[in-house]
Amino acid sequence: MDFSSVLSGFAVAFEWQNILFCLLGVTVGMLIGVLPGLGPAATIAILLPITYNLEPTAAVIMLAGIFYGAQYGGTITSVLLRLPGEASTVVTALDGHALARRGQAGPALGIAAIASFIGGTASIILLSFIAPALAGVALAFGPAEYTVLALIGIFLVGTLGNGSIIKSAAAASAGLLLAVVGLDPLLGTPRFTFGTDQLADGIDFTIVAMGLFGVGEILYNLEHRDRPQTAVPSFGRAIPGRLHWLQSRLAILRGSVTGFVLGILPGGGATMASLVAYAVEKRSAKDPSRFGKGAIEGVAGPESANNAAATSSFIPLLTLGIPANATMAVLFGALMLQGITPGPGLMSDHPDVFWGVVNSMYLGNLLLLVLSIPLIGLFVRMLKVRPGVLAPITIVITMIGTYSIRNNAFDMLLVIGLGLLGYGMRKLGFEPGPFVLAFVLGSLLEASFRRSMRIFGGDVSEFVQRPVSGTLVAILVLTVVVVPLLRKVRTRQTANAEEEGVRAD
Amino acid sequence: MQHPLPRRGLLAGLAAVPPLVALSACQVQGGADEANATFPTRAVDFWVPFDAGGSGDLISRAVAKAAEEPLGESLPVTNKPGANGAVGLKELLAGKADGYTISLAVKSLFAIGPLIVDDPDAVVIEDLRIITTLTNEGYVLVVHADSPYQTLADLLAADQVNYGTTGVGTGSQLSAGLLFGLAQVPATDVPFDGGGPTVTALLGQDIDAASLSLAETMPHIEAGDMRPLCVFSEERSVYLNDVPTAVESGHDILVDQRRFIVVPADTPDEVVGVLTLAFEEAREGSEYGQFLQDNFMERWEVDGIEAELHLAEATQQFADQIEASGVELGTAE
Repeated sequence: MDFSSVLSGFAVAFEWQNILFCLLGVTVGMLIGVLPGLGPAATIAILLPITYNLEPTAAVIMLAGIFYGAQYGGTITSVLLRLPGEASTVVTALDGHALARRGQAGPALGIAAIASFIGGTASIILLSFIAPALAGVALAFGPAEYTVLALIGIFLVGTLGNGSIIKSAAAASAGLLLAVVGLDPLLGTPRFTFGTDQLADGIDFTIVAMGLFGVGEILYNLEHRDRPQTAVPSFGRAIPGRLHWLQSRLAILRGSVTGFVLGILPGGGATMASLVAYAVEKRSAKDPSRFGKGAIEGVAGPESANNAAATSSFIPLLTLGIPANATMAVLFGALMLQGITPGPGLMSDHPDVFWGVVNSMYLGNLLLLVLSIPLIGLFVRMLKVRPGVLAPITIVITMIGTYSIRNNAFDMLLVIGLGLLGYGMRKLGFEPGPFVLAFVLGSLLEASFRRSMRIFGGDVSEFVQRPVSGTLVAILVLTVVVVPLLRKVRTRQTANAEEEGVRAD
Repeated sequence: MQHPLPRRGLLAGLAAVPPLVALSACQVQGGADEANATFPTRAVDFWVPFDAGGSGDLISRAVAKAAEEPLGESLPVTNKPGANGAVGLKELLAGKADGYTISLAVKSLFAIGPLIVDDPDAVVIEDLRIITTLTNEGYVLVVHADSPYQTLADLLAADQVNYGTTGVGTGSQLSAGLLFGLAQVPATDVPFDGGGPTVTALLGQDIDAASLSLAETMPHIEAGDMRPLCVFSEERSVYLNDVPTAVESGHDILVDQRRFIVVPADTPDEVVGVLTLAFEEAREGSEYGQFLQDNFMERWEVDGIEAELHLAEATQQFADQIEASGVELGTAE
């Protein structure tokens, strides 16, 4: 690594106008993150014309700020309203919202902001030192590896629910089924599209999440609006206490590393990161039953992970020219419009852009942390608003957000339809979390598996023979089969030992 | 209290409007309408029926920006993605044919789409009118730099080839499929979801070869990570002058992607004329030219009739070649 270019990158990042664009970007990002349905990809697309006349570095600093700023903002609605705007904040909603219902929205959001800051910053440091070497990681993941990764993810979804496992599995299966809607990824045959082009590309994740979590939850709450709230949230403390910090510091550390590594993978990286981080926290907890009922680690782990992943998802874009997600694709376009081609030549041809943007993220994360703390107190007050008033406002914003994804009115009807489904599921005690995550991972699994089978000529054993996918298969077998079996044997042994002990007495 | 009176006056005025509207509507159909002489009086919406950030989006933004001055109005770009452009174009056809909404369209939707799925509701070029043609983007067949295949002949002598494509119904799939099919090389196509994932798979050596657009491959060719074997254009690409065409190598395959701007077919002639002139001027802009060069695109600048003829010929040619090669573009696994 060339240190002088890193240092001159700092000089670029701290030019006053770049600081201003960074501040503008993260503020806009945070605000659209808070508004359900409005995503960074659509926002950046809308703002593209503004960037035409800016310096390339300033433009990308601002647009990047919108992207990671939205990750901070998205957490707020996930926790307060149980309305995740991105696949990577679905798991945050589980324990985050449970904490909010117990009146601990402030500390939950405080820990989330701190976790995001640490995860994001750790990720930038790692990116600066080993980004070029890590480009290879993205390439080591082919269809076979994504297949196994998606499979691991789907099994992890099973660990999310805190109610009946059968209901979780049923919801996840329904999510997998919904993922097949659209043109067959390999053959182009329309599946469950009812003859309309509107469904040809499948259903966007945001629409499913806005329907099941957003509209479904709102309908359910309206039904219960006369009853007293389960817990009156306290508004006083936005800064988490010592205990919260002690409980979550290791989770933040683990989440940052998990997020950084998985975030490098284009396609599903950030979602997998938050999911794995949650599962790791639940497995390593002394009392896993707390999860889903308001465990602060369940917020800290995934939040540090998804912000770390948001940062490391720049690696494939900046080093290979491969956009990892829809937002990165728009950023790619922004760079191209500036006459800069993201890819293998970027770091040597435009070191000022590369390091200027990377180093601006330190500042951006710090600004977000500083912005978050006072704003949390403000947003928490939102819970004080009567459901009868809050519900219609949320629905209107959700609809605007939904429309903005494809500028398509049909999608708004879909959200309402899925909202009715979400309401029905909630009534019958089915969790939307497993449904939504299985939906995301389902399309990845199906397409990757079928691509692998074509590449392997139909030979399944190749999954084990390739080094990376073989290792992933081993991890899958260990976590899904071996560990639960051992645990069962051990509990039986201790039970036997206790019995014997009783007898010996 | 002065308000009620003017308001009542306004209402009375409104009541008188309908017959007038009907009258002017007749005039519009008659062809000569003075209102059209002043077109446009407000912003013209430029729809991109593809996701933000892709090639189609970038071209649209570049040309829309260049057309603002000659048109004298702004052209805000809106993305209306879905079904390779069909969702956006259907919405365009359902709206008013007044020229205030125009859209990008691509050759593959009309020339390859019908070969994949027989859809009676598909958008056909006859429903649209081409106001400007923009670009011709070539495909290049690439292998990984470490690949044992040095030339096209090497690759076509292989026992089995797995080739990546950017999806069903794309020029990427058609060009490579025809090449291997007509040369009778045992080959399996592996469709990915767009250019990025296909590039990743090739760089990761999960696939042996891929036919991709120049914009998607040039940075990697320049960095020495990919080796170009042939291009599928009629003549050698100005950007890859030392790479032979498929035709030169004895394979009669011509596949490219072309982009153009359309309005509904029944848009008044005067309006189309104004738009066409504005875009012709926009294409001359130096910034637009620089954009094409930066993105390895070539100009395709012909009139609407010639463009429609090209689309019809390409469709027929593709259908014939697909039948001759026995290639299946995604009907059976």
